[in-house]
Amino acid sequence: MSVLVEQVTCSRHGQAILYNVSLQIKTGEVLGLLGPNGAGKTTLIRLLAGLARPDSGRIRVFGEDASRRSVTFRSLIGLVPQENTLESELTIEQSMLCTAKLYGIVDARARMEEVCQQFQIGSWRKKYPVKLSGGMKRRAMIARAMLSRPEFLLLDEPSVGLDPDMRQEIWQAVRKLQAMGKTVLLTTHLWKRRRNFVTGLLFCERERSFIRGQPRGYVNRFRQSRRLAWKMPSWRWRLKGGEPGDGRRPSGLLP
Amino acid sequence: MAGVQAVFYREMLMLIRRIGGLGYLFSGLLFPMIYLLAFGWGLGESVAVAGGYIAYLAKGMLAITVMMNAFQQTALSVSAARFYYRTFAVLRLSPIHDGAIVLGIALAGTVRALIAAAVVFIAAKLFFGIAILTGPGVLGLVLTAFAFAAFGVAVGLSIKGQEQFSIVINFFITPMTFFCGSFFPITNLPSVVQPIVRFLPLSLTNQLLQATSFVGEAGIAALALVFFMLVIYLYSTYRVHNYSEF
Repeated sequence: MSVLVEQVTCSRHGQAILYNVSLQIKTGEVLGLLGPNGAGKTTLIRLLAGLARPDSGRIRVFGEDASRRSVTFRSLIGLVPQENTLESELTIEQSMLCTAKLYGIVDARARMEEVCQQFQIGSWRKKYPVKLSGGMKRRAMIARAMLSRPEFLLLDEPSVGLDPDMRQEIWQAVRKLQAMGKTVLLTTHLWKRRRNFVTGLLFCERERSFIRGQPRGYVNRFRQSRRLAWKMPSWRWRLKGGEPGDGRRPSGLLP
Repeated sequence: MAGVQAVFYREMLMLIRRIGGLGYLFSGLLFPMIYLLAFGWGLGESVAVAGGYIAYLAKGMLAITVMMNAFQQTALSVSAARFYYRTFAVLRLSPIHDGAIVLGIALAGTVRALIAAAVVFIAAKLFFGIAILTGPGVLGLVLTAFAFAAFGVAVGLSIKGQEQFSIVINFFITPMTFFCGSFFPITNLPSVVQPIVRFLPLSLTNQLLQATSFVGEAGIAALALVFFMLVIYLYSTYRVHNYSEF
């Protein structure tokens, strides 16, 4: 078992974000984290990355306590957060080299070249983030997270701001990680596109509980749960493959 | 040690990029230069201190420049990295010790403050033809720069919003600017407040800047400044250790 979350409760300004959450992630698993806005997906990601501490409960990643944030723990984690975290004063190349140095990678430049090739980061690596599109920045952030070869990769909405082709590239990269035996937890609304390689799903409900199952099981669950779909109309439309108000007829997963 | 180098390298790259913008360096220098010129020209003849008022004031301005640049720029940089750019998480996630993060950032802040001090030093030499640095003075500036840069890390990580930054400036930095012997000797203050003011960090810096050797009070001031620096460094490390994205 690579990740163990035991009875974790986390609150902010007196309001519970996660309540008594327990879950397990096996080594090599690619787990999708689904749920409406405010359900606690990003909070869970931050807790797993050690960027926040729970009020109670315990999180262990490959046996390391996340709350202690040891150097060993941090060397296991790779995080691609929702927001852009590329340094505005550094070019993509400088940012990657700095990150490689921070992770103590011996041949930093060679590793950077390898990762840039893998994620097709070409001449634009010499540019500052302000000159790049959202998709390019996203790709650079994923590549940067991959520099240290993390055992557990957390991707928070990795496909945000990407065009369909780029999205496919991101999912291909996740597939590669899966083939390498890495453990991946990713949040996204567009789960249909990645369901053929995601090994399990976690659904965060508004009641702050996390339910685990196989993708097909969730389709069935949603079919039976009109109430849930009614409460989250925009999300339901995304599951159907369209956007709210884009004129596309509902088809596919939901009745 | 590799972790410190990595953080320092990253901070310096970012500093070089920022310093390329002309306003960055000059905004930090404007305040001490205005004081140096205004008080130097306006009060230079009327304030009696050993060695001349302009030389005294120039040393005080060096202390203020170092304090302001080390503290303000570091605190702003760290808090902006938390609130706006979200880049502090990159450091926090990397597998280096908490103390190394503080050391790397504070060393970069020290370099930044000493560059600003060098410009004030050159200006004082150009405008007033005075050489103002001694051995204790140089040590005082380096220790002050590091201590206030580390303090900047602690404040940058402690404040809950950019607006709280002004509270620290108003309650800590501004009083030290005016009461710690940069504009006039501490002995001019009422005797009740002198013992308190004497051990504030900027007073210690000014004592070292005015001293010609480490004998006597200057030695005690240097030790007190080292002690202050260590306390602040440890507190900043504690803040990094307890860093939370909430």
